Amino acid sequence: MPAPILSLQSIHTFIGRFHILEGVSLDAPEGSITALLGRNGAGKTTTLKSILGLTPPSQGKILFNGEEIQGRRPYEIAALGIGYVPEHRAIFRDLSVYENLKIAERKKGDLERKADFIFGLFPDLKRLIHLSGANLSGGQQQMLAVARALVPDNELLLIDEPSEGLAPVIIEQMMEAIKALSAKTTVLLVEQNFLVASTLAEHYVIIEEGRTVKRGLMADLIHDEAAIHRYLGAA
Amino acid sequence: MSSFRTHRAQWIILAALALLFLLAAQGMSTRDWLVTVLRGLSVAAVTFLVASGFSIIFGLMDVLNLAHGALFMLGAYVGWTAYVRPDTVIDLATPVLLFLAGFALSPALTLGLSRIPARLRERRAFAWGLLAAALLVLYLALPHAPMAAWHPGEYTDSPIVWTQTFEAERVAELAQPAVAEVPAWLVWSGILLGGLLLAASLIAFNMQRRPPVAVASAALRRGLFLFLALLTVALLIYGFNTPLTAFMLSLSSNWLFLFAIVMAVITGVGLGGLMESTLIRPLYERALYQIMLTFGLAFIGTEIVRAVWGRSGFTMPKPELFAGRGEGCPATSIGGWLQHHCSTIVIEIAGEKARIRTYNELFLIVMGVLVLVVVWLILQRTRLGMIIRAGVQDSEMVEALGIDVRRVFTLVFALGVGLAALGGVLAAPATGLSDAMGAHVLLTALIALAIGGLTSYPGAAVGSLIVGLMQQFIIKYGQIGIQLPFMDEPFKPTPPLVPASTVLLMVVVLLLMPQGLFGRRE
Repeated sequence: MPAPILSLQSIHTFIGRFHILEGVSLDAPEGSITALLGRNGAGKTTTLKSILGLTPPSQGKILFNGEEIQGRRPYEIAALGIGYVPEHRAIFRDLSVYENLKIAERKKGDLERKADFIFGLFPDLKRLIHLSGANLSGGQQQMLAVARALVPDNELLLIDEPSEGLAPVIIEQMMEAIKALSAKTTVLLVEQNFLVASTLAEHYVIIEEGRTVKRGLMADLIHDEAAIHRYLGAA
Repeated sequence: MSSFRTHRAQWIILAALALLFLLAAQGMSTRDWLVTVLRGLSVAAVTFLVASGFSIIFGLMDVLNLAHGALFMLGAYVGWTAYVRPDTVIDLATPVLLFLAGFALSPALTLGLSRIPARLRERRAFAWGLLAAALLVLYLALPHAPMAAWHPGEYTDSPIVWTQTFEAERVAELAQPAVAEVPAWLVWSGILLGGLLLAASLIAFNMQRRPPVAVASAALRRGLFLFLALLTVALLIYGFNTPLTAFMLSLSSNWLFLFAIVMAVITGVGLGGLMESTLIRPLYERALYQIMLTFGLAFIGTEIVRAVWGRSGFTMPKPELFAGRGEGCPATSIGGWLQHHCSTIVIEIAGEKARIRTYNELFLIVMGVLVLVVVWLILQRTRLGMIIRAGVQDSEMVEALGIDVRRVFTLVFALGVGLAALGGVLAAPATGLSDAMGAHVLLTALIALAIGGLTSYPGAAVGSLIVGLMQQFIIKYGQIGIQLPFMDEPFKPTPPLVPASTVLLMVVVLLLMPQGLFGRRE
């Protein structure tokens, strides 16, 4: 197993007075997709936000490339090479597709260097380049949100619910894109749709009520119907 | 981008307003109509300078800056000072620059403080002690800085008389800075030390919240360079105080007015940056406290104005370019004004003479349009503008892209306040200075924003336009009367109806479109 590029060691996070994460541990091995699974409200999104420092953890360690990053400001953490594709996409409505990509540059010319790769994954975006974000369909917005995370040289992508609310055809397109980009970038994927998660990911982590309860290779989980039923509710 | 269908309601309301506006013109001669429109545009320009900054700040960081009007007023008073008493500004430059020099050393201070054992450094008393020491040293040193200024308490030395002197003879017999009993080097090192201690205490307060991070050597070198530069400039200005003052007084009032604009904007940007980074930033999670804070700052600003410049209002003479009254004046065309620098242009319309004041009704409108275009270009064409537009929608996502949003916040707050200060200094020659001008302009700007949509830049422009025109038309009808249906006598709106009418319009617009004309539905 390759060394983890990201490692969470017993993270605790409060939002207001609510103790959301009560000990989440996970490793995201370099060069592969790790699926973060769990029921609604288990703390999956909060885990991603804690990694980025958007909801800073109060306890525990987060190691990125062996360096402790907890307690740093979100922009400092992101600038280390972590891309974020939040749930509900959060693309900028008042910006054009081009500006939505351009704003993600960390060095001048990032977008020009990556253009071929990005438009290779999402040819639609090239066609829509001058449209404003508000005029995109849900699937197009999701593509833009993923593309935006690919503009700078990110080593790790945190992708939250990429298939949520999309038509099956678009989901397939999105899965292909994520598969393709994972050849270059490590991915930590939150995904409700177990079929999508199990097709894409090599590793999995299951959290329940803010705690890591099970982790391992996806190939083993697929055959463990008891665990799937117990922790995820459905197969 | 904007199609008729998606903006139908906006267009209908704008069309209705345009119709009302044309109806308002009936019963009014073309001359009166033209002059009233120009006056309305002039009020709109000043309102827009305040409203635009307010709206960008509110949109990006959700801060309702109720001190925005007070900062507009401060811009006007600082502008007056630079214009009428440039000698005071030069006297002030040395202590201010020395004080700032202390802050320039922040990186070195951070490094120094992080070497102090954490047990001592993290005590509350440590930071408070530094703060108390800073205030004590400044309290001892500042009153001894040699400075020539006016005294609002004595009429013969009050801003009113200084304004008259400026208008009458330009070069006044200026008071020499009082000779200090304390040697200058002691005063200057005291102020420098005060600045250093204050910077150190702020850093110490910060370190209690967040453990110190390593200081880059580039930042250290830059800080040291800035420190030396500020120190040198401060001492040079002190050394050449007399010739510099003589030079400033020999300048034409046009150059002095430019100097006033620059000083007002610098003051606005500086105060805005300081206010955001020290007072607003700790309260981002607590909106109510923030409103209370800016509300309180507005009162403090007004009291500062009263203490320094006095309670009674005074005027600011117009620069020469807009003040000519002699031969060739009033001018009959723009060319005539450019030649003779007249204060007014008189043109004939349909047999009537229209008097147009070159400063109020030409210069202010041009400046308003200029700022409108420049800010729009910044918003649409620069990376900063892109970040602002994105941040208005979702600043957390902008930060998650690796952009230091807090720095952008400080910058935008500073620029927004700079715009207000610019509005203040530009308005001062037209409206005069008074301690109520801040509250007045803030109210007008808020009404304009409520009509236009709180966080929309075009909304700020259109709202200001509507409010400015409405005000001036009501004032005009107060003079000539308007024939209303079912009334025998022409109706003459009384002065209190001026603010009431704009508030009424705001109520109507908000009832029909709760988010204003250009606002986005939340």
